[in-house]
Amino acid sequence: MTHSCPVVIVGGGPAGTAAAAQLGKLGITSKIIEEASKIGGVIYRGPLRNTHSLPHLDDNLKRAMAALQTRYYANRRHIELLENTRVLGPEGTHSLLLNKGETLSNIEYQELILATGCHERSVPFEGWQLPGVMLMGGVQLQIKSGLVQPGRKMALVGTGPLLPLVACQLHRSGIDVVGVYEASQFSKLAKEAVALLNEPKLTLSGLSMMGYLKKHTIPFYYGWGIVSAQGENALKSITVAPYNEHWQADTQNAQTLEVDALGVGYGFVARSQLAMLMGLDHQYSTVSGSIPTLDQWQHSSVNNVYVAGDSSGVLGADAAICEGQIAAIRIAQNRGVLTGKEAAQHAGKVMRKLERLKRFRSGFDRFSERQVGLMELAKPETVVCRCEKTTRAQVDIALAQGVKDITSLKMRTRLGMGDCQGKTCASYAIDRLYQSGCTDNIGAIKPRFPLDPIPFTFLEEQ
Amino acid sequence: MKKFDIVIAGGGVIGAACAYFLSRDTQLKVALIDIKKPGNASRASAGGLWAIGESVGLGCGVIFFKTLSKLQSESKGKDIPVMRPHQLPDCFFEFALASNAMYPALHKELFEQHGVDFKFERTGLKFIMYNQDDRIYAEQITRGIPHLADQIRWLDAQQLKEEEPYITDDAIGAIDFICDHQVNPYRLVDAYLEGARQNGVDLVLNSEVNKVLRKDDRVTGVTTQEETYYCDTLINAAGAWADTLFNKATGLNMPVYPVKGQIVLSERLPKVLNGCVSTSDCYIAQKDNGEILIGSSTEEKGFDTTNSLDKITELSQGALKCLPILKDSNIKRCWAGLRPGTPDELPILGHVPGIKGYINACGHFRTGIVTSAITGKLITELVTGQETSLDLTPFSVTRFFTQE
Ligand SMILES: Cc1cc2nc3c(=O)[nH]c(=O)nc-3n(C[C@H](O)[C@H](O)[C@H](O)COP(=O)(O)OP(=O)(O)OC[C@H]3O[C@@H](n4cnc5c(N)ncnc54)[C@H](O)[C@@H]3O)c2cc1C
Ligand SMILES: Cc1cc2nc3c(=O)[nH]c(=O)nc-3n(C[C@H](O)[C@H](O)[C@H](O)COP(=O)(O)OP(=O)(O)OC[C@H]3O[C@@H](n4cnc5c(N)ncnc54)[C@H](O)[C@@H]3O)c2cc1C
Repeated sequence: MTHSCPVVIVGGGPAGTAAAAQLGKLGITSKIIEEASKIGGVIYRGPLRNTHSLPHLDDNLKRAMAALQTRYYANRRHIELLENTRVLGPEGTHSLLLNKGETLSNIEYQELILATGCHERSVPFEGWQLPGVMLMGGVQLQIKSGLVQPGRKMALVGTGPLLPLVACQLHRSGIDVVGVYEASQFSKLAKEAVALLNEPKLTLSGLSMMGYLKKHTIPFYYGWGIVSAQGENALKSITVAPYNEHWQADTQNAQTLEVDALGVGYGFVARSQLAMLMGLDHQYSTVSGSIPTLDQWQHSSVNNVYVAGDSSGVLGADAAICEGQIAAIRIAQNRGVLTGKEAAQHAGKVMRKLERLKRFRSGFDRFSERQVGLMELAKPETVVCRCEKTTRAQVDIALAQGVKDITSLKMRTRLGMGDCQGKTCASYAIDRLYQSGCTDNIGAIKPRFPLDPIPFTFLEEQ
Repeated sequence: MKKFDIVIAGGGVIGAACAYFLSRDTQLKVALIDIKKPGNASRASAGGLWAIGESVGLGCGVIFFKTLSKLQSESKGKDIPVMRPHQLPDCFFEFALASNAMYPALHKELFEQHGVDFKFERTGLKFIMYNQDDRIYAEQITRGIPHLADQIRWLDAQQLKEEEPYITDDAIGAIDFICDHQVNPYRLVDAYLEGARQNGVDLVLNSEVNKVLRKDDRVTGVTTQEETYYCDTLINAAGAWADTLFNKATGLNMPVYPVKGQIVLSERLPKVLNGCVSTSDCYIAQKDNGEILIGSSTEEKGFDTTNSLDKITELSQGALKCLPILKDSNIKRCWAGLRPGTPDELPILGHVPGIKGYINACGHFRTGIVTSAITGKLITELVTGQETSLDLTPFSVTRFFTQE
């Protein structure tokens, strides 16, 4: 193999930039392909600016990101950034199809690192499509932009550490947060104390956020969650209720709150469409959806293709950085830049840190594990697939008729056939199949090539 | 361990058609074993029933013709043979037309008795002419098939505009093959399989035939990872993978190889095409749900099923030229399928001398959808020892065996 070809990295989030910086440090050039105009990934859409201008990050993450920036810039001359460029899928056997502006092109690779991150999990409930009902990412994006406020009076529902974080951010930017509703019970959190102490700093920063909420009298309820959202053309009110341990709502004790915006955060799903299109072997994870099968070096079932960061399983930014570095070190070893011993040395420390982060994370994952109640929120007439307007009742019927895998479900109900390629509805569908007792060979909504529609005009003769 | 009269290996349109006809016309105990390999042709296909069009090198054959004409223009000045339409032998016309004639009744039968509508649409296939060269080519085609004159209509620019208002004003006319139609190819496979299932065929889906069992000169069964299936006759309908199975069954090889075809599909559009269309760049068919399907490349790249920018561009440009309204639409999907190619473009059907209990039903190249019905019928006749309704000699695998 000739090594003139730069390593190609898809995604310029923490995982992708960490990989590029690590490769650069070892004298290996790389190209980062990023659909956004700037690198940084989902936690900060925006330039690599000073971290103190990132009000939404906690201090630890700020430090980690600052260190990453420094490493990235120190090795910038080895890194080529193709921004505003989206990968539409594989092209030929060792090349990717790219779209920038109105042009299509391709890029060849010998080694590829996929670091495409994650997206948020949608949970259908009555009224979930009303304007004003947002996923946490949308809420954060609006706070970050500083231009529009997501709402004046808001509530947050969901589970996990993002809830208090976003609540603090909202409050700091002057929004009246009327309540934060964590689906799991507090007693369940206490059970995870040991796991959480793997990363005392992270745990403490979580505690300090809870302290902040208390100080500013923002009510935080454990064991409560969403029932429905109401409004004509925009959100007017929401109904929340106590959840039992299975997250089933006790509607007798429901409360209705007037709000003009609602943040919903029931977890994340790996963005694995590109990896699936490239034919990597995948497996199902309850936490992250379909994730590629990898070895300890982040290497996939396809030769010279690595996956790092949230797209290999949602673990957060710190872990994404570790994984990007590990993949980079392995590539350096395969290229003969590092000996096996050196690679093991370089990677050892990072791998140990990753292990710790995983243990910490698994505490939260157990705490936040989705329960059946969440699937019972949609009413029969509630639309569960936005693109094809498939309702819950249609899914119920198909399951009752004995559908046991996602492809058959798709054929019967058209769920997942729309332009978003199942990004929104796939996790609900898979959860339903699981719940109805199908655990083997459910399959996945197979992504289509190209990942986004291509206007025919892009291909007109010049 | 299970025992059947017939095991069919491969559940594309050919295996499915064999299963359906066998289950409809005989009392034999049949199993069909299929694993959907990436690139299986039936799901990738355009669903054209272009019996004449394909036989004269339009439709899927058009890119092939394009390559030939390019060769010609590149070697200008040299002494080259006059360009002829790429026409298949008479035995193939007969085979394709006989099959094509079966679809109206088959559509009714599968819908009414088995509940699956494979969306048979009477569309015709129009060859669109842009210039004098195209006209000469069209004239050559019609001259080559005088016996089919009643199946051809000539349209001038005006008539074409009336029938297909969205086709470019640059077109000077068209010839229309009036008996060429289209179906939804997935539905066709589903319809055959559902009919077969209702008639009692065991469908073993998601299983691969790994081994072929032999006793002396007789094939006695196959194995999958889970099970052994004994049978009196094994039918090889393994598409582009048929040679592997042939080799396992006979120890010989035959020239069936993958010929890749890429397809471009638009988003749904309101009805902009009344019939199927072929130009000298590509073919275009609006399918029953409004999507416009544009095909197709002809590439020999082994079992590779990736899409490539050059082919997508060629196909799209060819389609934009013919159907300018596509400028307002997007490519929603592209894919590639593997045609089971043969060197003479004819299928490989029938017994193999010296081997008992084995039948070939493969090598259908770019016409397996339109020729599936007759294949199912012929194979059924062969299995039951009847005289076949068409002579199978030209399709025998022995044509590839060199005499020694
Ligand atoms: C709303 C939200 C809030 C979060 N808040 C926190 C937090 O406070 N603390 C914390 O530790 N973690 C947080 N996380 C998690 C954290 O953002 C991720 O763990 C981290 O960003 C993972 O890094 P990554 O590099 O794997 O992915 P990402 O940061 O998601 O980066 C992936 C990049 O790939 C690009 N990309 C994807 N597909 C393509 C394509 N086809 N073509 C071109 N480019 C592509 C994307 O544009 C993106 O920039 C949050 C995540 C979300 C979604
Ligand atoms: C792009 C494209 C467009 C086309 N358009 C048209 C058209 O418009 N009209 C037309 O008539 N024809 C068309 N064709 C041709 C037509 O699709 C093929 O001739 C036809 O589908 C062949 O059917 P088959 O059943 O032999 O093969 P396939 O459909 O490939 O089926 C073979 C099956 O056998 C399975 N298999 C293989 N090995 C094994 C094994 N060991 N065990 C179990 N299963 C196995 C395969 O996975 C596959 O599912 C087109 C083809 C392509 C690629």
